[in-house]
Amino acid sequence: MKYMTKSIEELHALLKEGKVTSKELIKESLERSHEVQEKYNAFVTILDDAKEVEVTDNLLSGIPYGIKDNYSTKGILSTGSSNTLKDYVPFFTATSIENLEKAGAVAVNKTVLDEFGMGGTGTTGHTGTVLNPWDKERMCAGSSAGSACAVAAGVYPYATGSDTGDSIRKPAAYCGIVGYKPTYGMISRYGLFPFASSLDHAGVLSRNVKDAAIVIDNMKGIDKNDMTTWDSKDVHLYESIDGKVEDKKLCYIKEICDIENYPNASLELKEHLENFNKALEKCKKLGMEVEEVSVDKTLLNALASVYVVISCAEATSNMSNLTGIIFGPRGEGDNYIDMMKNYRTAGFSPLIKRRFVIGSYVLQADNKDRYFHNAQRVRRLLVDTWNKLFEKYDAVILPVGSGPAKLLDGSKTVLEEDDTTALEEHLQIGNFGGFPSITIPDGFVSNLPVGLNITGKCYDDANVLNIAYALESVMDYKDQIAKEVK
Amino acid sequence: MAKFTEEMVIDYADKLLIGLTDEEVKMVLDEFEVIDKNISLVNEIPGIEKVEPMTHCLDDFIYELREDVVEESTPIDDILANCDSYLNREVKVPKVVE
Repeated sequence: MKYMTKSIEELHALLKEGKVTSKELIKESLERSHEVQEKYNAFVTILDDAKEVEVTDNLLSGIPYGIKDNYSTKGILSTGSSNTLKDYVPFFTATSIENLEKAGAVAVNKTVLDEFGMGGTGTTGHTGTVLNPWDKERMCAGSSAGSACAVAAGVYPYATGSDTGDSIRKPAAYCGIVGYKPTYGMISRYGLFPFASSLDHAGVLSRNVKDAAIVIDNMKGIDKNDMTTWDSKDVHLYESIDGKVEDKKLCYIKEICDIENYPNASLELKEHLENFNKALEKCKKLGMEVEEVSVDKTLLNALASVYVVISCAEATSNMSNLTGIIFGPRGEGDNYIDMMKNYRTAGFSPLIKRRFVIGSYVLQADNKDRYFHNAQRVRRLLVDTWNKLFEKYDAVILPVGSGPAKLLDGSKTVLEEDDTTALEEHLQIGNFGGFPSITIPDGFVSNLPVGLNITGKCYDDANVLNIAYALESVMDYKDQIAKEVK
Repeated sequence: MAKFTEEMVIDYADKLLIGLTDEEVKMVLDEFEVIDKNISLVNEIPGIEKVEPMTHCLDDFIYELREDVVEESTPIDDILANCDSYLNREVKVPKVVE
């Protein structure tokens, strides 16, 4: 009997009825972890000594899960998928992981990410590329590549992720699963390796919307160690899901969704947008109003550059403590400057180094207003635009990316100009505004999964999840497990 | 404002204590060209200079001072567990005073 393909609700019922034990679930999950590691390279560490726990009334108790390797875990290697921290074993555990432990959740592995979360391909982790479990020639996207791969491959029902630009929601789409980041500050970032603090969100990858709600209910909470957290004790996401959406209003953006925007559209892009339109029809059948709206294209075209400027500036600062003196293996050199330079040059991958240089340049006194402040100004204009939409609509619904998972060979890794930039990068607006945002699978293109995203206003997570749940319920892609198509 | 040149990229990298290969320098300059072009378009948005830069997602954070009480601290042995080279409670660090 395979259990790890089941939902959290199903597993909890089986555990409570005594039809399976926590020990058996952990054993199956660990065996599956080793198979998935062999095939797709999804893990930095597999916790073969994971122990069963008592099954309580908490839905997560006794059930295995995975932790993205940029969450600090006491006594367990936590590398951020970087050579600079390849031997780092933290002396404390991230608050959100501690919360899951208290719920009785059992961690069985640490998953690969793009180095420190700074990438969208799953190819820059220090342990190598994570392969897509639907097609090994394709990427999982990133940065939560290992978590997405493992959940899609049926290692366990969920894994934690983190999301600074789209790092939960894009890999979810590429792997045919659900990816959810709640409102900024609902989950503590204490113990989550910082990338760009004003944009970093913790969250989850799962195979259905209710599972995502259950996990976030248990990860969240105000934390004295993260001053940006807020009191969410009255928020009960799982209980608030009822599937009633008759009075809800959604909008989608013409400048992103209309095929006319893409004169050189590939067949995959055409099919992806047709697929999205079918999902919109399903929303209407559920009784929701769906309207097309227009947004200033200058803002949309600028958003990817705005993201790079802000995130690089914040990353430069956040990563300045990685010197090899207080963290990581010491570099070689005759003096401390040479030691640090040796450590940072050898330890960081080229993509990270380029972020630091760009971040440093845009923060120079002479350049700050033109680049950094203007990027922050556009951030406000975009967030104000979205908040204006939320005055009239419950959520913005948009396709994720320009099609299914991209091929690993020849895909771009840095910002380049392209007419699909806004389509590829619009999820970053969810980080600019801290909006609750969820990706769910909405079909297949070229036999590979594709997804759509639903984003709502801050603190309105229950509404966003409910809309996603209702739509998921009338599509055929809930709880899907990856099957290699090639 | 000076154009971002190869020499500047190398200089910034040096100040950041990272070395770059020629290929990495080119990657920075190529990407920056796209950013610069987009920021130029942003500069043309009417009234952009009057927009207050947005530094954070939310603007309703509650700031409070905690009581000044001693809390349990991390055991020193736990912290030293990550350290390659130490004697008793002393950590060996490189010489920083010339």
